[in-house]
Amino acid sequence: MSLRSQLRKEVYWSRRNAAALLLVLLLLPGFFAASSVLFQDVIPRDTPVAVVPQGEDVSSQELILVHAGTGTYADPVDVDSTEEALRQLEREEVYAVVEVPANIDQAGTDVTFRLYVDGTMVPFKEPSATIATIMEGQLDESLAADVTLERIVVGNDHDLSAYLLPIALLALIMLFAFTYVPYNLAQESRVMDRIRLESSVEALVGAKLLFFTALMVVPIVVFQVAVLALDAVATVSFEHVTALAPGALLALLLTFVTLAALSMAVMVLTRFSTTGRFVNVVFLMGVAGFSGLAYPVGYFSPVRKAIVRAMPTHYATITVRSSMLRGSSLATFADWVLGLAVVALLALLVLKLTVVYDRRWR
Amino acid sequence: MAALALEDVTKRYGDVLALDGVSLSIDPSGFHCLLGPNGSGKTTTIRLLLGLERPTAGRVVRDGVRLGSGFQQPSFYPSLSVRENLAVFEAAIDRDLGEWHDRLVTELDLEPVLGRSAADLSGGFARKLDLALALLARPDVVLLDEPLGALDDVSTARILPFLAEYCEAGNAVVVSTHEADAFEPYADRVTVLHQGQVLDDRERAAIDLASDESLQSRYVEAVLARERDESGPDRDLG
Repeated sequence: MSLRSQLRKEVYWSRRNAAALLLVLLLLPGFFAASSVLFQDVIPRDTPVAVVPQGEDVSSQELILVHAGTGTYADPVDVDSTEEALRQLEREEVYAVVEVPANIDQAGTDVTFRLYVDGTMVPFKEPSATIATIMEGQLDESLAADVTLERIVVGNDHDLSAYLLPIALLALIMLFAFTYVPYNLAQESRVMDRIRLESSVEALVGAKLLFFTALMVVPIVVFQVAVLALDAVATVSFEHVTALAPGALLALLLTFVTLAALSMAVMVLTRFSTTGRFVNVVFLMGVAGFSGLAYPVGYFSPVRKAIVRAMPTHYATITVRSSMLRGSSLATFADWVLGLAVVALLALLVLKLTVVYDRRWR
Repeated sequence: MAALALEDVTKRYGDVLALDGVSLSIDPSGFHCLLGPNGSGKTTTIRLLLGLERPTAGRVVRDGVRLGSGFQQPSFYPSLSVRENLAVFEAAIDRDLGEWHDRLVTELDLEPVLGRSAADLSGGFARKLDLALALLARPDVVLLDEPLGALDDVSTARILPFLAEYCEAGNAVVVSTHEADAFEPYADRVTVLHQGQVLDDRERAAIDLASDESLQSRYVEAVLARERDESGPDRDLG
């Protein structure tokens, strides 16, 4: 065939796949352009910081003074006890805890603030040293007392290599759910009539979900083995990293079930077409971009922060990170894991409804 | 009342009227040929009977009949081997079929390709695998859409008597085809569809063919006569 005839074929193909091309060439660029506005900046300007009194003799007036001293780069939140504040630090609801001593408004008194940061929150741990220096200067300047600030790193102290491990696992699961699962389902469109007649689409997608979810344990085990091997031979330390922690395992598998069920629902609705696979790629980008995988959500603009906080995958990310790196117990994240289970059930319901819709409107 | 039937069924695909008020009952046993030119509504009829499509109007009756189907485009898992395809669909059957699996493999001559990937099958073997899957569960009624497509003459000569034997065992075989001659020796009943309507429907024994006339030529003549004179008196196979 000549070049001309092949070009003509491409035109015909494009006409046949206009919906998919519309998505990739118009809607996707539009989505990226629009979503870039939401990012605004990533300077840790409104980072949530817990402010707690060191003892009962700290007055509420003194806490208000501290708010004023930290307000330019943090979003201070009053918390009653250090224990509760550290729990919030573990759940990444705050990124630092400022413990306020008494008598900060008395001239000539030496007071010591404590700034707790988490050893696992690598993107915040290093900047927090600078923040501590600035905060000490600002507090000393604004308060009557002579201020010293002590920075304390709590929990397991990790570096960037370890911090990236749970992100990589989550990214892998998202990629598998939104690309391989739809591809695999589309491959079976040829046999779909026979399945509808002799089995059911519900049985097909149910079997796939069960099988692929079980399969997802394999990369998690591989990560665990790799971590142990690298810890033994590499200069980078992977001490205290546990990929097979119950919380991590549950959050990863529930996330996979949710995303795979949604990607299958898209495929059923689009009759296993190319358009369905493109839609799933767009979903992949959206979920990966708005789950707060790498950067702490506290770094983001208020709009993006609100979007990320509304994503179930954001809570899965923190649960996985904390379980894998901080050694957090399942009980610490029981409410979020339960929430992820509810979301997974809702996703399965959506999948069931799309199958029923497909059957009714054929 | 027939256990498998269309009752005054209309089926539209957007602006296209595929079936227009068709009523058709399928006998519980026997060889039933659905004849008609391209676009006459044969495939739509089969798909409605199978429950793969829903009628726009009218009713489809399917009362406790176990159905099997061979599709116009052979339908199987291309990424699995022939043996694996048979095993997957056999696992969905909830009763003991004895030696039936082996009989099918023999009758449909699938033995040489059992280990081959289904994606690599020739058109003829793909059709045979599709037929095997249609018959695997020993359905009461098996509906076959253009079952002779891509089959060579030798295979056709083996498979048609096998299907006739399947009917004699008390089952029904419904074939949609435009190759009436091949089915003429086996057909118990013939229905001719044209432009989404039943042009004729009668027992094969009631079709009086001249010595130099075939079922194929009779059905073609009936369709052409209808096209020549849409408003004229009905011409049929009788």
